[in-house]
Amino acid sequence: MLKATLRSFLAHKGRLLLSALAVVLSVAFVAGSLIFSDTVTRTFDRLFASTSADVTVEPKNDLSSQIPTGATQTVPASLAERLAKVDGVAATHVDAAVENATVVDSEHESVGPTTGAPTIVTNWEVTERSPVKLTSGHEPRGDGEALLDADTAKKKHVRIDDTLTVQAQPGPFKVRIVGIATFTTTNPGAALIFLDTPTAQTRLLGSPAAATSISVDAAPGVGDAQLKQRIAAELGTKTYDLKTAEEQAKSAAAQLGGFLDVIKYVMLGFAGIAVLVGVFLIVNTFSMLIAQRTRELGLLRALGADRRQVRRSVLTEALLLGLVGSTLGLAAGIGLALGLIKLMTAFGMNLKSTEMVIGWATPVSAYVVGVGVTFVAAYLPARRAAGVSPMAALADAEVAGVGRPLRVRAVVGTVVGAFGAAALAGCAASSKTSTAASLLGLGVVLTLIATVIAGPLLVRPVIRVLGGAFPAVFGSVGRMSQRNALRNPRRTGATAAALMVGLALVGGMSVASASMTKSFDHQIDKTLGADFVIQNSNFVPFPQDLTDKVRGTQGAGLVVRQRFTPVAVRLPDGKRIETTAAAYDPRLDDVAHVTYAQGNTAAALGDGHIAMDVKFARKHHVRLGSVIPVEFPAKRKTELTVAALTDQDAAEGFGMQGGLYFGFDTIERYLPGGQDSALYVNAASGTGADQLRARLEKTLDPYPQAKVLDQADYKKLIHDQIAVLLYLVYALLGLAIVIAVLGVVNTLALSVVERTREIGLLRAIGLARRQLRRMIRLESVVIAVFGAVLGLALGIVWGVCIQQVLALQGMKSLAIPWTTIIAVVVGSAVVGIVAALLPALRASRMNVLAAIAHE
Amino acid sequence: MSTPAPEHAVGRAEADGIAARARGLTKAYGSGETTVLALDSVDVDIARGRFTAVMGPSGSGKSTLMHCLAGLDSVSAGQVWLGDTEITGLKDRELTRLRRDRIGFMFQSFNLIPTLNAAENITLPMDIAGQKPDQKWLDQVIDTLGLRDRLKHRPAQLSGGQQQRVACARALASRPELIFADEPTGNLDSRAGLEVLGFLREAVDELGQTVVMVTHDPGAAAHSDLVLFLGDGRIVDEMERPSAEAVLERMKRFDTIRVTFDGGGGGSDGAPPAGTSGDVPLDDSPGAAFLDGDSGDVTLEKD
Repeated sequence: MLKATLRSFLAHKGRLLLSALAVVLSVAFVAGSLIFSDTVTRTFDRLFASTSADVTVEPKNDLSSQIPTGATQTVPASLAERLAKVDGVAATHVDAAVENATVVDSEHESVGPTTGAPTIVTNWEVTERSPVKLTSGHEPRGDGEALLDADTAKKKHVRIDDTLTVQAQPGPFKVRIVGIATFTTTNPGAALIFLDTPTAQTRLLGSPAAATSISVDAAPGVGDAQLKQRIAAELGTKTYDLKTAEEQAKSAAAQLGGFLDVIKYVMLGFAGIAVLVGVFLIVNTFSMLIAQRTRELGLLRALGADRRQVRRSVLTEALLLGLVGSTLGLAAGIGLALGLIKLMTAFGMNLKSTEMVIGWATPVSAYVVGVGVTFVAAYLPARRAAGVSPMAALADAEVAGVGRPLRVRAVVGTVVGAFGAAALAGCAASSKTSTAASLLGLGVVLTLIATVIAGPLLVRPVIRVLGGAFPAVFGSVGRMSQRNALRNPRRTGATAAALMVGLALVGGMSVASASMTKSFDHQIDKTLGADFVIQNSNFVPFPQDLTDKVRGTQGAGLVVRQRFTPVAVRLPDGKRIETTAAAYDPRLDDVAHVTYAQGNTAAALGDGHIAMDVKFARKHHVRLGSVIPVEFPAKRKTELTVAALTDQDAAEGFGMQGGLYFGFDTIERYLPGGQDSALYVNAASGTGADQLRARLEKTLDPYPQAKVLDQADYKKLIHDQIAVLLYLVYALLGLAIVIAVLGVVNTLALSVVERTREIGLLRAIGLARRQLRRMIRLESVVIAVFGAVLGLALGIVWGVCIQQVLALQGMKSLAIPWTTIIAVVVGSAVVGIVAALLPALRASRMNVLAAIAHE
Repeated sequence: MSTPAPEHAVGRAEADGIAARARGLTKAYGSGETTVLALDSVDVDIARGRFTAVMGPSGSGKSTLMHCLAGLDSVSAGQVWLGDTEITGLKDRELTRLRRDRIGFMFQSFNLIPTLNAAENITLPMDIAGQKPDQKWLDQVIDTLGLRDRLKHRPAQLSGGQQQRVACARALASRPELIFADEPTGNLDSRAGLEVLGFLREAVDELGQTVVMVTHDPGAAAHSDLVLFLGDGRIVDEMERPSAEAVLERMKRFDTIRVTFDGGGGGSDGAPPAGTSGDVPLDDSPGAAFLDGDSGDVTLEKD
């Protein structure tokens, strides 16, 4: 029996090729993402472990904000001397490192990375832990001298003796590059500028007595943990965070981990899609192979093979396929990881591909996924194969089991679909975000399953419509292609399902992103009243100096500043909520339209006052006049009186829960050294908007990070942010299409083989090769478009439900991107044409005689 | 390699001329030592307006001859004409068009496209060509074959005989110059087989068509005007106005040759036909002993 199985596997290897490819793809994504993240994690763990001081003393970081505030928290530099006296301390170093500065060259171009990695300006302190060493020039001596890291110097063409401007929070200053420092470890992609320690303290932190942290070296024989305890005894643990090298490395890795996790999850998402779609492909291939081999299997049964043996034979074939696919997939995964590492290098993150880490989990997952998926996917066809009766060997049955009724599918599909629809309806009706989101998830999964199950039932009605014009347009070729697509609904349904799954995701996400875009547009239209907004493209705050220059620009009338701070509020219902609050200058009404349920802007921004969203207030039993205890960073505390409640329908996302804001005095008092995040500027009377814009742009010339935005630009900025989501959608779409093409190719190729005689007959009675190719192409197109229509319909329903969830977050507008959807349908027709290329060629090359010769 | 055939039908002056013609038609498979000659320099003329049967034992090359005459297969040497058109040397596209517009086909089995109904199958060659069928002619064909009430049926809903009648209608529908029928009764029971043969006869007599039929059934061959006997790739004999038993006798001589050749029972093809030979001989000859008992009483008017 095993021999027969192996023979069969080898005989059908061509037909299994595409299924194997699907396995390879999914395994490659799983293995690639694991190898990549293992490699990166290992590299950075090493980097941080080698660069962390034995014990680091930092300001207590009790409140954090998703929105950067620009403020740098400090510790007194004198701590270094105090700690040096602690028993077991070998040496202490003052650190002055900031990430809130922008460094520009003489042509006002930023030398910082464009990839989102930080620009770090820090003090030059050579220790054995330094990640860099001086490779040319000399170390910085005194004000006005600086070192630059070699990678940045090379990338931005900065040489020794060039002058750069550092825009730090206390103010801008010029430095001359006197030396180049080269990374001795992995460069995480940041740009590094080194100053001598007093300069760094004064210029970056505003005071020679300040430091961002103190690094402590342990004396020989003193453990890190032990030293930490002694320092804690000296300083207490309330004001400062103490971290051993290990803890420091962990927290640094965790910060970076967020970014890496995104890559990992995106990759695993791809793997998921590949696996899901691969399952359809494998099920379809095995079903078709078994249908074609019905007589052969019947013969085996007639010769005495029992059901179990037949089933085992098919599953053994699947196992072989899975093993081969997983092995190739693992190899492809290594290649993929290598590619990703190269890509990271292009982004400035110097990973060494020679240090690729392949943990034991990688091959294990690869084989579990590859073999598991194939095995599971082949199980149903195998059962069906076992059900072949010995009579099948004798019967002159037509190949391919067309017959079996779809009743079970209809019932199961309808039931699951009804539950799914109910969940989605519940989601749309729900008023609580968490309930709505979980109902949405449930509904999405159930409706997807229902559509996959009921897909074959929809083949007939939908393709009748889709291909309805074929006979009229393409004559008998069109008629035959339409009927061929209808011939085996089960097969057509399964083939289209591959495309459907991918396009349903795309449809849902594109509706969601279009709705978000529209909601933001709507909100910007409604609230933004200023002529111009000045903002960093990545929403990072800018130095005070910029604000002063904008104010001094000729023709600039009103300038209203916006600044953010993390806060924690204790509300009357007993809840403590950590969120981000905003602060504005008094004449906010002139640059923004704020609607109030109670109170007004003047009251909201008054001294000792705070405003918040009316719904948030109601939920937490806050009333006008309530006194709210508010905590700011660095343990600064106060109580603010609620003086206004807004009714904005504003988005609560982005860490801005509650929509809290207050006057500028409050933020300056409790978050000293903060930076402005945005400036709202109106033209002075007598100055035209275009004129002001030109002048503002001139003013901002030395600040490449800041942009002058009018309402349209501002919308575009938001659109660009949302577009990132869309790129992900398009990448998913791409992968879904690749695999769906494989599926369609697979089905068509097997169908062509099955219809050899029919094709021969058609050729004999005068169907030209071109017409034959067209017939197969049209069949392919109709299958692909069927999948697209089903997928997009499902996706739009999901999208509408996602929007309902977003609406609870204030994004009330619904937009369905019809152009995208129509483009995807048209695209799917192209996909069909592409998928038909090879099968059509194969059919048209078929030998007419071999096809019609009897016996 | 060109051993001339001992007997062949050259230039029959009678009838309405020549529908198809082959000169020195040679078809070889394989190369070098293993070369097999399926057709060995065959000269043949197919007269217009007549019913020609091609007979011969298995492997005699009768199907190959038909395939070459119909432009389905390429030739190794020699020339083939359809009417005045030389088809040897035509490209695939021209051959396809020629088959579509000028030749009708019937095969032993799998004659119809399962996804199309009877009416669509009948007009398929014209639909492919994008031509409108001649409705009057079409009606005549459909009525002659008695398919009027079967037009909306799919092949799976038709009996084997009905399917062959639809195939016959398709072959006739475009009024081709030549109809090739490859074992058209091979898969049918005797009654249905007789019916189909009757229609082919009628197509020649009433509708003026030209039919070439490949068969190994003497009873079927007896419906034709002329039987060409093929042996080892050559035309070895021909018989005008054949009767089943005369054909059978002639075929037996192949068997004898075979038996002496192989020292065995010969190919299955050479064995006396059973089941499909339902024709009642015109004179009572011992050939009737081979007839199927069930269908012995079925008669069909001839001529």
